[in-house]
Amino acid sequence: MQGIYTSVTKIRRQVFAAVAKLAYEHDEYSSIEELPYQIIPGEVPTYRDSVFVERAIVGERLRLAMGLPLRRADEHSALSKGVTECAVPKKFFSAPLVDVISFACNACPTNSYEVSNNCRGCLAHPCTSVCPVKAISIVDGKSFIDKEKCVRCGRCQQACPYSAIVHYDRPCAAACGVDAIGSDDLGRAKIDHDKCVSCGQCIVNCPFGAIADKSEIFQIIQSIKRGDKVCAAIAPSFAGQLGPLATAEKLHEAFKILGFDDVVEVALGADKGAVAEAHHYAHKIPEEQPFLATSCCPSWSVLAKRTLPDLVDCVSESDTPMIETAKVIKKRNPNTKVVFVGPCVAKKLEATRKIVAGYVDFVITFEELMGMFVAKGVEFGDLTNDEPLNDASADGRGYAVAGGVADAIVKNINALYPDKEVKVDRAEGLKDCKKMLMLAKAGKRNGYLLEGMACPGGCIGGAGTLMPLNKASAAVKKYQNDSPYEIAKDNPNIDE
Amino acid sequence: MKKVKIEVCSGSECVMMGSMDIIEAIEGLKQVKQQLKLKAQIEIVPCKCLGPCKNENLAPVVKINDELITQATGDMVMSKIIAAIKD
Repeated sequence: MQGIYTSVTKIRRQVFAAVAKLAYEHDEYSSIEELPYQIIPGEVPTYRDSVFVERAIVGERLRLAMGLPLRRADEHSALSKGVTECAVPKKFFSAPLVDVISFACNACPTNSYEVSNNCRGCLAHPCTSVCPVKAISIVDGKSFIDKEKCVRCGRCQQACPYSAIVHYDRPCAAACGVDAIGSDDLGRAKIDHDKCVSCGQCIVNCPFGAIADKSEIFQIIQSIKRGDKVCAAIAPSFAGQLGPLATAEKLHEAFKILGFDDVVEVALGADKGAVAEAHHYAHKIPEEQPFLATSCCPSWSVLAKRTLPDLVDCVSESDTPMIETAKVIKKRNPNTKVVFVGPCVAKKLEATRKIVAGYVDFVITFEELMGMFVAKGVEFGDLTNDEPLNDASADGRGYAVAGGVADAIVKNINALYPDKEVKVDRAEGLKDCKKMLMLAKAGKRNGYLLEGMACPGGCIGGAGTLMPLNKASAAVKKYQNDSPYEIAKDNPNIDE
Repeated sequence: MKKVKIEVCSGSECVMMGSMDIIEAIEGLKQVKQQLKLKAQIEIVPCKCLGPCKNENLAPVVKINDELITQATGDMVMSKIIAAIKD
């Protein structure tokens, strides 16, 4: 339900704002015990059967937002357990990044076919005729499916003239492109962390808000309070995300109020990457390597390397835009802490890799950033010290939308190597990405540039975004047009 | 033709609490104007912080033809707009 505002969204964001406020305004954090009572006041439940369950869930969300691990539901421990230890000005959270809050899970039926009330007990009952295993029969005048025999082929659903047969699939598992969601012994969703690539699609698709990721808001604010120089590296997908008043020129002043020292566009790193990949493709594909797969999407990149262990070299070794931009910031001042601000849960995982952790200190999403702005009372409508953001070209800014990475690279190949023929394929959503990878494995994508995006729509569809795709896409387009540079290779900043 | 002006607060707290979604709802309403037989000009104006949210839990805030609405939801706003037109 990316881009749609629901009660789940409301609670999640209230938690971010509460944690940011706690970090900014206090030096001692035992008052976390009071926060669930502020977010869920009174004695009458609003969202679930019991106000105590609502508060318990909010309690776990608060812990995750502080980077703390989930507590076991069958043992006693204080909500504030670990709160002092996590109040450090550096990366704190440990795996798993994404997990299910088990008692928030509705244990939705997994892949099954059900006969709904739409069934009219018709004369023809074609459902019974088409079932290959005779799992469906007429009981008390209505169709009935024997779950033990049913093989989930779906023919009964297709045959029913009243659309009375419904396919249930657990939304989290259906959204997961790597089949990482199974069940625990109580039938509740359980993530297989060996398969999970932290794309965050399950988080955004669970209608009960039972899945959540960990956050670094708390540690970032500790770093700011310590007096560290902190620089925001903001991803191009930010365009339009924080409302119509939060335009690019307002960002410098807004971040300063939060305690940051500077803001740099990650699209600058993307420009560097686009040019590097253009050279790579022109020189090596297909003579030295059969194809080139982009690597800026961490979930896609992990999936690609896992699916093609023998062709790992075909997945671009170039630094991702996040790393390139962080390197630029560290070069200007090695003591600066870099905070990547983006649409993405998987970037939090990418930043835990040893090589990356040396450049990127923290990662937050736009939703988490919103919580920080609210905690500090930042009103974009009142900011007047405009400072344009001019680090990147239209190419780098286009990385935010599916197809934008390939477009940028192709444009630069055409400009730098006009005689080079380029073939492109791309996929959105990890299921389709996997299909494309299998084609590449079978040798059917030789000579290609392959762009993979874990999130439908590309980065603007990430789990940390706030706007629906069509609005976000239009906002990115405008942001691209606002750039002083048309093409990545002509951006003078890439030589920094 | 009747005019309905809806000022939707785009301050930080209201955006966080879903004011952009209310704009989506109103735009959805505009698209079915014909079916609903609504003869009016509906104008959506995103505006800066209208104030009330500072007193906790009142976001999102919306103003319909100068009537202030707190804790606004998509359906609440849509029914108020329809009521304002049918007046």
